[in-house]
Amino acid sequence: MSVDTLSPLPGRKQSLLSRLFSRPLDVVISVTVLLFAASVLWQLSKWAIIDAVWTSPDATSEVCRGVSGACWAVIDVRWRLIVFGLFPYEEQWRSSLACIVMVIVAILSCVPMFWTAIRLSALWIVGFSIFYALMAGGVLGLTPIAPDKWGGLTLTVFIYAAGMLIGMPMAIALALMRRATLPVIARTTGIIIDSVRSLPLITILFTAALVLPFVLPEWLLGDKIWRVILGFALFFAAYEAENIRSGIQALPSGQEEAARALGLTYWQRTSRIILPQALRNALPPTINQFVISFKETSLIVIIGFFDVMASGKAAYGSGEWSFAWVEVYVFVALIYFIFVFSLSRYGAYLERRLRVGQH
Amino acid sequence: MKAIGTIALGATVLLSATAAQAGFGDTLKTVKERGALSCSGHNGTYLGMAEVDDKGNWKGFDIDMCRAVASAIFGTPEGHLKIQSTSWEQRWPSLQSGELDLVIKSSGWTMSRDTDTALQFSRPYIMAAISYATHAENNAQSIKDIDGGTLCVQSGTTLERYATDHAASNGYELEVVPFDSTEAAKAAFLSGRCDAYVEWDLQIAVMRATEVENPESIAILPDVLSAEPVAIVMRQGDDQWIDVANWVGSILIQADEAGVTSANVDEMKANPPTPAIATMLGVTPGVGKRLDLSDDWAYNVIKNVGNYNEIWERNLGEGSAYKLARGVNGLIRNGGIMYSLTMD
Repeated sequence: MSVDTLSPLPGRKQSLLSRLFSRPLDVVISVTVLLFAASVLWQLSKWAIIDAVWTSPDATSEVCRGVSGACWAVIDVRWRLIVFGLFPYEEQWRSSLACIVMVIVAILSCVPMFWTAIRLSALWIVGFSIFYALMAGGVLGLTPIAPDKWGGLTLTVFIYAAGMLIGMPMAIALALMRRATLPVIARTTGIIIDSVRSLPLITILFTAALVLPFVLPEWLLGDKIWRVILGFALFFAAYEAENIRSGIQALPSGQEEAARALGLTYWQRTSRIILPQALRNALPPTINQFVISFKETSLIVIIGFFDVMASGKAAYGSGEWSFAWVEVYVFVALIYFIFVFSLSRYGAYLERRLRVGQH
Repeated sequence: MKAIGTIALGATVLLSATAAQAGFGDTLKTVKERGALSCSGHNGTYLGMAEVDDKGNWKGFDIDMCRAVASAIFGTPEGHLKIQSTSWEQRWPSLQSGELDLVIKSSGWTMSRDTDTALQFSRPYIMAAISYATHAENNAQSIKDIDGGTLCVQSGTTLERYATDHAASNGYELEVVPFDSTEAAKAAFLSGRCDAYVEWDLQIAVMRATEVENPESIAILPDVLSAEPVAIVMRQGDDQWIDVANWVGSILIQADEAGVTSANVDEMKANPPTPAIATMLGVTPGVGKRLDLSDDWAYNVIKNVGNYNEIWERNLGEGSAYKLARGVNGLIRNGGIMYSLTMD
């Protein structure tokens, strides 16, 4: 039998077969592992799909009585709670629209057409304003809804997006200030960054949400949610500033010297020569930081926010559904996975596109 | 989690020492100016006491207490009650900072909270009765029927001490099977390792409703080993605000005693059968002014939330998944310890 060397598929198959089944011991090991994997997969799909209950026509848990598979009916009945939290039922379309707007903004920022600083910031500011207007109301005849009613996935997305939106410019500013020629500024910034990094995020959030009201005058307090977002942004910025600084320091010093020799001002050098290259260099750790931050939003549950983890807990937290916590956690994990995985893939796409690591 | 709790407690103790105490009548004034009562919810769920329904509305015993106070002040909880989702760690700092007006969050009245943390408590609205659970097949009417049996309990806890004390003073014996966590003790009991298990009766009822295939297979015995008072918590210093909390709590029980329910309160108000009910529902004026509330505040509470029995049955009793009997929380005339204050 001749092997068609032009098509890669049979070749790959061939090499796989020769690797897994060449010697008798290999055959035994391969078969055992494959059988084990198949049985795990079979058990899992039996639980998750074959024996599972998907809907509950009467919105009670009666359909899941005596069923051995997963009770996805809990998601069918309680998904609104997980996604929207305590947002008023009649107004939940606003919450979903707001989420969709945010997703569209995120997708649009992947389009190279928007890849100038002005377009990108305009896109995010407009998208974020629409999101905020939809959620908070009070404009265009929408009933106002206070942030203490926000919850679920939308709240997680809001706190994350707002935190990143404020945190990113803050990080760039901190990175530049740490490299400032004036020692006062450079050292102070260094101390700020290192102090913030030496505190756990939870204490920062706790202080922002619960301790500040004791020390700040009322007019300076603002809403709890904004204090928390600022704390979150500060924490993100302290780490991200160091990522960016590493990106800056990776640049050959000739870059800045050449720019200086050409007579460019500090701002021209920074915005046209240094930052574009530094941000490109810092892209892998930056994506890393974004991914970590998304998962860190789940900490806000400690200071009494109804984020997607809390609303998940509330979703199975009723006499009716408390047995179905595995299903709810799987669902919440899936939500996190979709967000974080897309974020990582987007990062990988950017790296390819910007040829990070290839000079 | 423990570290967070310590930080939270540290912050509270530190800040409560410096924070200005609430003055007489300040809290009610602030609440009225704001137009809404800010009350504690949960960050998730606490079965029976604070849950969220399919439409994202709060429900539960603690939540109904919040609704009762809001009804007394504003006539209706609709639009006048802000349930702030609150974690266990944050409840005291949030109360001290004024973010919350009341903490109604299944919180026990303890000495350190009362003194060091500078909090004050209403009369208890629930007694957390420490009771025994047993398997229904034992057919026990009281713990003495399983004299000599085994008890699954987390070792070194107050629960274990309650059980040994109760056994010693009531002349029966239980062989204690110690475990290093509540979950392990509970799992062992459910698997049939022990004849008895000891816990707050609401927790037993929750376990029975949510973790057992056939809820009828677990019985809660009527013996009460001890009871921990669960009360409404407020900032220290505002005595007028305690009055409001105490009288709202009392009126729920008084209505229960007098048979006034949310269904018949309109009729009772139109034709009060006794002068006491006429006073209570504000038909005879004067009962509101003393609390700085309207005369019909009690009527509004009963109309919107119902009396104590209705709240109980809806959230913990027969109308709920937990089917918990009132037991020690019954009226005095039924053998419980719940009584109303005298309204004159």
